[in-house]
Amino acid sequence: MKIICLAKFIPDVDHFVYDYERNVLVRENMDLVLNPDDACALAYALALKKNRQDVEVEVLSMAPLSLLPNLKELLRLGADRGVLISDAFFSGSDTYATSCIIARYLADAQYDVILSGTHALDGDTEHVPVQVAELLGLDHMAYIVRFDDDSFLNGTCVFESEFDNANARFRVRLPCVLGVLAESRYKLPFVRYENLDLNVDDRVTVVTNEELGFSHEEVGIAGSLTKVASTWQPQMKKKEQVIVGNDDEGIETVFQFLKKEGYMP
Amino acid sequence: MDNQKILSDLSKFLTPEQINTNADDLYDARADRYKKYAKAKKVVDTPSPTAIVYPKDAEEVQKLLEYCNANQVNVIPRAGKTATEGGLENWKEHTLVIDCKNLDKIVKIDTYNMQATVQAGVQLQRLEDELRPLGYTAGHSPQSKPVAQYGGLVATRSIGQFSTLYGGIEDMLVGLECVFPDGHISRIKNVSRRAGGPDIRHIAMGNEGSLCFITEVTVKIFKYYPDNNKFYGYLIKDVDTGIKVLREVVANGYRPSVARTYSEEDAKQHFYHFHEGKSVLIFMAEGPLGIVNATGEGIEAAVEKFKDGIVKQVDSKLIETWFNHLNWSQQDLDDERQGMIDNDKHDGFTTEISADWETIPKIYYNVVNRIRNEFPRAKDITMLGGHSSHSYINGTNMYFVYNYDIKAEPEDEMRLYHHPIQTIIVEETLKLGGSMCHHHGIGKYRNQWTEEEHGSAYYMLEKLKAAFDPNGIMNFGTIFPQAEGVKYQQLDKQ
Repeated sequence: MKIICLAKFIPDVDHFVYDYERNVLVRENMDLVLNPDDACALAYALALKKNRQDVEVEVLSMAPLSLLPNLKELLRLGADRGVLISDAFFSGSDTYATSCIIARYLADAQYDVILSGTHALDGDTEHVPVQVAELLGLDHMAYIVRFDDDSFLNGTCVFESEFDNANARFRVRLPCVLGVLAESRYKLPFVRYENLDLNVDDRVTVVTNEELGFSHEEVGIAGSLTKVASTWQPQMKKKEQVIVGNDDEGIETVFQFLKKEGYMP
Repeated sequence: MDNQKILSDLSKFLTPEQINTNADDLYDARADRYKKYAKAKKVVDTPSPTAIVYPKDAEEVQKLLEYCNANQVNVIPRAGKTATEGGLENWKEHTLVIDCKNLDKIVKIDTYNMQATVQAGVQLQRLEDELRPLGYTAGHSPQSKPVAQYGGLVATRSIGQFSTLYGGIEDMLVGLECVFPDGHISRIKNVSRRAGGPDIRHIAMGNEGSLCFITEVTVKIFKYYPDNNKFYGYLIKDVDTGIKVLREVVANGYRPSVARTYSEEDAKQHFYHFHEGKSVLIFMAEGPLGIVNATGEGIEAAVEKFKDGIVKQVDSKLIETWFNHLNWSQQDLDDERQGMIDNDKHDGFTTEISADWETIPKIYYNVVNRIRNEFPRAKDITMLGGHSSHSYINGTNMYFVYNYDIKAEPEDEMRLYHHPIQTIIVEETLKLGGSMCHHHGIGKYRNQWTEEEHGSAYYMLEKLKAAFDPNGIMNFGTIFPQAEGVKYQQLDKQ
């Protein structure tokens, strides 16, 4: 069984540096990490591969070539193959054009299921997998928090989705596109010590427009019909630090703070 | 020889209650706190010992050692189980962990002669609890005080938080009883001082279970004057200032029980409620009132001398409160273990070194710079600092403390994080003539530098090992490097 995992790399928002004086995000030296929901999807795929010898995992990402090392790290985790769709020709593509590009690659690919994250943490681009499914004519479900142990047997997948504070179980026919939530807590492993320097070059493919054959009007800025009406910079305030003593007054201050913030009844 | 045969043989001279083959306990005995994260995650790859045994007296220890010596069974002496450098880790398929649980008697508290005799499994806290109502103290207070046992304290050359006044365990130890691999029981008598040849207490003290098994110790006790305690705390400009003030106090002949200086980073985690981003200098004076007052004056004079580096004095109550909550109990250890399982993180690691006054600041800055610039995973470090906490007339220690986001599988954590950091600390220390191990011992993970630590004097250590443990059955791999152990150390790709 072959699983293709869609992977988006985003800025590491847990470790960003903010310049409060200029009110801008400091992007220099910022790490890029795998989108948390995508990471859970891949984590599930790799865990399944570990338990089932017939499972093959391919990671598919559309990103600049500079992210090739990030993709290779995912292969060192245990993915069998990595595909990076990357071409300056695609620069400026909006989510619809991006979906078209990814779908065209997938149209000729072999797979039983496509896994992705449900949300993208850096810009609400969660509709890309949905659009990809639509373009491929596949069913799509998201908000998955747990797969049943017998999923992907007998041509179906059984899972539990969590949406609007309700959980529901579904059985979906393969092939399909499935979106996993970070709340699933499927955890991506770390690269093992012996694989840190593993050469995975022969398992990585870079796909350009030469293979996909889009025209100038279909992708990039010209092919992107989404127009940005306006943008704004969120104003972030430096949090005030209050130091209290280890005494009754200090305890009262902490108590009142927790109460105000809703941590205490 | 196989493990079943060993167990069968043991049953001939030990009761079933004295032989523990519980799978969880044997897993626990595979490693010590060096591999605390891997251990909590249940991925320790070293072998389980054959059994943990609990002798009741020196004669049973004698039988056990004779048996192991005759049958090439590795022995790991254990008392307190708070080792941090791999000293209790097992590298052999056939191993007996000889635990001091049943050697738990306080033999004698002799207040007139100011000494107490205890068996090796007596917890330090227990003796202290017996001494306090009598108006005395053991004067020994390592952070592991509620858990540590005397056999382990002596075998690892332990030191406590009040060492500047009371000294390390080597200053407290009067005499002891120990058993050698051939079954010989030696008793070193309790006298105030003697010139009867080399001080043979030092053969047993610090042997880390690699030469003999300590069964009983006699230590000095001290009068306890808690009402006279005085605390001093200062925010200071940097580590250098702190070291200079510590030196001034000690070199002038004062002996505060506590004399410590913390780097900014270390102060942040210890004194979050008042550090203000500065380094911290603290003292505690204890003893008879006249001495406490004189010590206090000495501290204030030293602070005044280096006032350019002093930011401000802090409320002494803050220091007193902090001291009263410094030790970690079994509950703290259990909480950290559960935290590692649940949250994939721990409370960090330490490496403790020593050198003379002049050299310590150089080592500190060299180490911090190298780690920040050369350690491949420096960006994962969440805390890197240190403190000097044990001072002597000619120098002091530096206790490097560090923590990091563990971006590695538990099996790989030590070789990707702790060991490379520790390597930098040890290399910089040895390069400048310091000691790589102030008070945690060498264990199994610093044995690659034992020869460099001792230089030409390593000859003496080797001869001791050859003489007392010719068959190499005592704590295989501890202190003395072993080629067979490299596969567990996994240091090949540093």
